[in-house]
Amino acid sequence: MTALSSTTDFKVADLSLADFGRKEIRLAEHEMPGLMSIREEFAARQPLKGARIMGSLHMTIQTAVLIETLVALGAEVRWVSCNIFSTQDHAAAAVAVGPDGTPEDPRGVPVFAWKGETLEEYWWCTEQALTWPGEDGPNMILDDGGDATLLVHKGTEFEAAGAVPDDAPGDSEEYGVILALLRKTLAEDPQKWTKVGQGIKGVTEETTTGVHRLYEMMDAGTLLFPAINVNDSVTKSKFDNLYGCRHSLVDGINRATDVMIGGKVAVICGFGDVGKGCAESLRGQGARVIVTEIDPICALQAAMQGYEVKTLEDVIDEGDIFVTTTGNKDIITADHMARMKHQAIVGNIGHFDNEIDIAGLAKVPGIERINIKPQVDEWKFADGHTIIMLSEGRLLNLGNATGHPSFVMSNSFSNQTIAQIELFTKNDEYERKVYVLPKHLDEKVARLHLDALGVRLTKLTPEQAAYIGVPVEGPYKPDHYRY
Amino acid sequence: MLRSIRERFARERPFDGLRVGVCLHVTTETASLVRTLIAGGAQVALCAANPLDTQDDVAAALVERDSAAVHAIHGEDMATYYRHIEAVLDTRPQLTMDDGADLVSTLHASRPQALGDILGGTEETTSGVVRLRALEAAGQLGFPVVAVNDARTKRLFDNRYGTGQSALDGILRATNMLLAGRVVVVFGYGWCGQGIALRAKGAGAHVVVCEVDPVRALEAKLEGYEVLPGVAAAAKGDIFITATGNRDVVRREHFEAMRDGAVLCNAGHFDVECDLAALRELAVERQQVRPHVEQHVLADGRRINLLAEGRVVNLAAAEGNPAAVMDMSFANQALAAEHLVKTAGTLDARVHGVPPEIDDEVARLTLAALDVEIDALTEKQREYLTAWEQGT
Repeated sequence: MTALSSTTDFKVADLSLADFGRKEIRLAEHEMPGLMSIREEFAARQPLKGARIMGSLHMTIQTAVLIETLVALGAEVRWVSCNIFSTQDHAAAAVAVGPDGTPEDPRGVPVFAWKGETLEEYWWCTEQALTWPGEDGPNMILDDGGDATLLVHKGTEFEAAGAVPDDAPGDSEEYGVILALLRKTLAEDPQKWTKVGQGIKGVTEETTTGVHRLYEMMDAGTLLFPAINVNDSVTKSKFDNLYGCRHSLVDGINRATDVMIGGKVAVICGFGDVGKGCAESLRGQGARVIVTEIDPICALQAAMQGYEVKTLEDVIDEGDIFVTTTGNKDIITADHMARMKHQAIVGNIGHFDNEIDIAGLAKVPGIERINIKPQVDEWKFADGHTIIMLSEGRLLNLGNATGHPSFVMSNSFSNQTIAQIELFTKNDEYERKVYVLPKHLDEKVARLHLDALGVRLTKLTPEQAAYIGVPVEGPYKPDHYRY
Repeated sequence: MLRSIRERFARERPFDGLRVGVCLHVTTETASLVRTLIAGGAQVALCAANPLDTQDDVAAALVERDSAAVHAIHGEDMATYYRHIEAVLDTRPQLTMDDGADLVSTLHASRPQALGDILGGTEETTSGVVRLRALEAAGQLGFPVVAVNDARTKRLFDNRYGTGQSALDGILRATNMLLAGRVVVVFGYGWCGQGIALRAKGAGAHVVVCEVDPVRALEAKLEGYEVLPGVAAAAKGDIFITATGNRDVVRREHFEAMRDGAVLCNAGHFDVECDLAALRELAVERQQVRPHVEQHVLADGRRINLLAEGRVVNLAAAEGNPAAVMDMSFANQALAAEHLVKTAGTLDARVHGVPPEIDDEVARLTLAALDVEIDALTEKQREYLTAWEQGT
């Protein structure tokens, strides 16, 4: 990472990539009709004027369109990626340079992100984005996975306690890095995170895993500010998680391995929205898909769609491709991998890298790691058989390919933008709880994407609307409707 | 499409005064074909190609309205079945139309003196073509036969999409089972097996394919199906469908491995694909639990449900292939019959394919009926395809 530009208030891999990034942003804008129409609708009113938004979300081309939408609506923004492998360096460069700047004279948004950060660098970046120049800190967080929210909460907690706890034996390597960072900041400014936390009006959270953390904090009474759960907008989780993964899973596997998928046995751990998209993706390419589940409802859904449902133990020596989608930890263990077929492909598309036990794998006696290319490693066991690990167990669609396509991200990010406007402009209506966006906004996001696909919507007559008891203009479904 | 052919035949009368012996499943679609032949001037005698396939109302209507001589009763016994074939042969046909080659083989076996009267014949299905080729190989085939089955517009559509849909229709009507979540084992991945596997997968079943041909097996595997040997599949399946054209495909060793409640049926032409004698031997008790469902209780209490006595399930338990695909098959039949008459005396006594012009014509007429337009090659493209000098 010697080529990093760090002279000004940002840090990316290579500013000379900005021109390429800008071209791809221009293409993506056309594929993100939701975000672009929100820009048009709100540009004059500047609803985010005064908002200082710290974003922690995969620094991709699609995210660049989100960032520039927030800026167009009046916000000041600082940004990091929420995963060490997910940054697209040309996107980061283009955002840092901005639409009006040049690599020599960058005038964009401060972004701290590059592909292939170390854990120390990753958390350093998060700290930088949360540290506003001047007196004021950020007043909004836009989070994906909850790392920014976590840092503010842990910092506040340890500052109140007056000390950062020592590393404990069971802690992950990453938690050790967080503790080290907080020890440093506590020494520099014992009130740093407390002040940041007090300044924040709210957070909008992108993904299942981060939402799970937020509900835990709400239940424990430790949530410092209100939160909007963007993930559970229908136009997010039923689209991004499902159709996004359906697209990007095979994209990641293909780019990483170029293996023929037809005829292979693929094992999908978890049959939630992500698992459903992954199973369809691989089945569509001619793989025979086997699902593992702990939830009887999801297991039955899988069976009724014609997938076999087995335990991982049953099929560990049968699978050619294994993908974890659970949002839980310790799904594929080192022992599992030791029993897989030669050159079985192992990857994760869940948010965090704890679904596959990479640390355990590295500790297997006699194991050898052979790097094939960036984000593709062959691990050779003492008996000579190998497995192919994608993106070191981090989300492979972003690590090995370019994540979800623009169109589906336009749905997710339209929800994000609307949620930011909602929390920032109507802050006094929200308590320190986790909320979902009201259904009429969810339906609005969907509506913004219909024209681009040539969809012609049928309109209810007033008599029909009255018959089923809904307004002609919606919302059309009760809140508990599952789609 | 048959209607447009019928209108042309009515004008041109290609079969004027010709005696045609037809042995096909007596269904509404066959009735259309028979009426087309009659419109072309033929005198038609018809019998069934399977004792269970006759739709009696159709048989009656053909006699009353179209003055065809029909010899077919739904559920006739084997003696009656063959008596009906003989009755058709008694009319001294000059052209034969077969589905399974029972008419032609009976003719060769019992009336060799009549072979000289015959201009030629047509054959509808895979199993019949196999028999005719065997007859040809033995040097005994007495007249030219056109294998309608081998037309692309027949087997790619009738066998795959027709049987794929109607075999499952037969199973559903007979059992009322939910297919989603079930393991469906398809024996044979030829055109019929492909169609059955495709539609079963579409209904949410997990499909297992059993094959003997390595190319077919690989095709099934790369299509994403599980491919297993029959005995391993037997232990895993809920529904077993044979579509091989061969005998004893599902036999004692398979029955012994099957789970309680297994459903067994055949989508191939003949009832030889499941070894029914072995199944009956294993059964300590047999009972008819629903129409077309005969339950065989084994000594250990396991029940195996045989559909339609192991006869072709789409015709026996449902209505056979839908009219739209039969229209294509029978258009081939009608045009192949016309071809035999036009080329009378010039074809060898062998099994011939359907001329490609007929195949193309059937596809073109079907596309027109579906309102589908297609492109034509440009002159330069046509030239490129025929020129060996032009490369990259």
